[in-house]
Amino acid sequence: MDPETFRRDLTAWLDANADELTPPYEGAGSMDEQMAHYSHVKRSLYDAGFGRYGWPESVDGLGGSPLLRAIVGEEINLRGLCDPNPWTMIEVLVPTVIEFARTEVAAALVPPFLRGDEMWCQGFSEPDAGSDLASLSCRADKTDGGWLVSGQKIWTSFIQYAQRCVLLTRTGEPNSAHRGITALLVDVDSPGITYSPIETMHGRLDFAEVHYDEVFVPTERLIGEENGGWQVAMDILPYERSTTFWHRGALLHRRLSDLVAQLSDSGDLSDTSAKAIGEVFLSLVAFRSRSRDTQYRLARGQQLGVETSIDKILITSAEQQLFEAVRDLLPGVVEFDGGDHAAMWRTDYLYSRAASIYGGTAEIQRNIVARRLLDLGPES
Amino acid sequence: MSGFIEPEDAGLLASSFAAAMLDAPDPGEADQALYDLGWADLLAASPAQGAAIAFGALGATGSAATLLDDVVVHALGVPVSPSTCVLFDATLYTNPAAPQPGDPRSLMEDNPFVVNGLVSSRVERATTVLIAVDEFEGTAVAAMDAGLLREPEPTGIDPAHAYRHVSVRIPTDAVTPVNAEGNWEDAVTAARMALSYQLTGGARWILTEARQHAIDRVQFGRPVASFQAMRHKLAESLVLIEGAESLGATCLRDPDPMKAALAKSLAGKAALTTANHAQQVLAGMGFTAEHRLHLWLKRMLVLDALYGSYKSLPTEIGRDLLIYGTVPRLIQL
Repeated sequence: MDPETFRRDLTAWLDANADELTPPYEGAGSMDEQMAHYSHVKRSLYDAGFGRYGWPESVDGLGGSPLLRAIVGEEINLRGLCDPNPWTMIEVLVPTVIEFARTEVAAALVPPFLRGDEMWCQGFSEPDAGSDLASLSCRADKTDGGWLVSGQKIWTSFIQYAQRCVLLTRTGEPNSAHRGITALLVDVDSPGITYSPIETMHGRLDFAEVHYDEVFVPTERLIGEENGGWQVAMDILPYERSTTFWHRGALLHRRLSDLVAQLSDSGDLSDTSAKAIGEVFLSLVAFRSRSRDTQYRLARGQQLGVETSIDKILITSAEQQLFEAVRDLLPGVVEFDGGDHAAMWRTDYLYSRAASIYGGTAEIQRNIVARRLLDLGPES
Repeated sequence: MSGFIEPEDAGLLASSFAAAMLDAPDPGEADQALYDLGWADLLAASPAQGAAIAFGALGATGSAATLLDDVVVHALGVPVSPSTCVLFDATLYTNPAAPQPGDPRSLMEDNPFVVNGLVSSRVERATTVLIAVDEFEGTAVAAMDAGLLREPEPTGIDPAHAYRHVSVRIPTDAVTPVNAEGNWEDAVTAARMALSYQLTGGARWILTEARQHAIDRVQFGRPVASFQAMRHKLAESLVLIEGAESLGATCLRDPDPMKAALAKSLAGKAALTTANHAQQVLAGMGFTAEHRLHLWLKRMLVLDALYGSYKSLPTEIGRDLLIYGTVPRLIQL
């Protein structure tokens, strides 16, 4: 299906079902409310077919270009119908699971995730393996019919809602770095998994610290090769920076539009506001232009890689500039004001501070650009 | 765009243009060499893509060829020629008592004009200068003798490029109306797009020089490229350049005035940020007249200052957004 026809059909359907798809809560809602609404929106899109395009038939999709998935998330975010964060998990994890997991495992487990009936999470970071991911130490030891996993993970988003977790484990010697890592698809209700949520600075339980105590994972849940987990992780990262970034770019576009409408309504045409708005818009357009190129490269089947660090740096700058501009141009709203409207600006302002940390810090991204794209040789 | 140039052909054209530019340091000779290579036909057949190819080469080679005159002349709907140049960023002040704006013949009235704007080094060898004035009901274009705008010494920071500011009073009969089919807005859009390709081409050259220096220069027993502070400066330069190149390509696919202004602004930001970072990486060497950085820095400053600088364009664009109260999507899948 060509993207233009798809978008036309999708937007007509979204308009016709606007009432039913609009969040029932005021403001940002609680996390439980958000997750319930996310499931509802996903299910509705799936039943209408739109949520199945861009995914292969092997996981109950309807085929077609990944551009179609970019379009669905874009339109949802432009309308503010659903919080984008739970949505990212599918886009980040599923393409890699389809490519690297056993066909029958993907065929059985992916469809409920696409339908919004289930949630997945991602167990990569550890207390001592953040930016230095290859030093992770959560062990998976061979046992009859599978592995026993023991160790600790951190920053695991949505585990309290999740049924599965894509987990990176140490299967080689402790110092085997990226060579001795294995990826497993773990059921979150397996005995031996316990977690405690971590509260963020914007007052949410976005993620958790997770303990694995001799958690049994059957052989068929291997993703990729044994000791081939680094390749799986490296395959995931570009997905994190393609479709989901396009979606987030749409959200930023909507929030910039909100800011412009609010200033415009108050008759603000000052140089200060014009300059700040123009600069944010420039950064956002730069990101969206770059990200558009990336969507097309993905759609043509090109392998995405470290060059997506540029997309990451561009969206981070755009997001942080946008919410700094909110604080500058709507004085006191972030700091003092009450009500849902101010609360959402405040939440977005605080959340934007994480943009230069999650998914590889701003500094790590620059290291990658320097080493891999500019070929500057090793760092001292 | 009437004729699409395949990437392979675009690459060949870019190389032959670049070679001609390097062979002819004198701007007049470079213009002639590029005309001989078919620049005018390229501009006629594929104005936007042709400009992207030629201006990318200008930026990369540091050539002072005056092709921007042709881009503006063509966009105004007047035949290009190496002996026709334009008044850039033109303002032509008429006596307040003069006839209504909107009528090109207003230029013919009996009052002395003040011609105020920038001209390239082409004015030295051109016969005709075109002056375009944005008026309420269209664009008035007039021609005058280039000799009237010639000044003995070019001024400004980039003598090779030799843009100069002119502000002269001219007699009424010095200007004649020109029948031009193009308009002011198209000319500004075309100029901004062309300049954005020259700026990103120049930024690439600067980054390549700085990168090589960082790898070759050893201090404390290791290449300065191994220090994170240097690496991050170079990385940030690349990010801006790639963003600007992407936006430049987006403009080519679907040109419009707002995209062109954004592309020009981002390219200026990329070029001047890269020049600043390169200055630190090149350190003392980069401050000498011996290293070519200063030539590119000065060129980038001039290009950024033409048709709206990277710092001033966002304010214009932002004000448009505030006036309309909405933000256009601009980039579509």
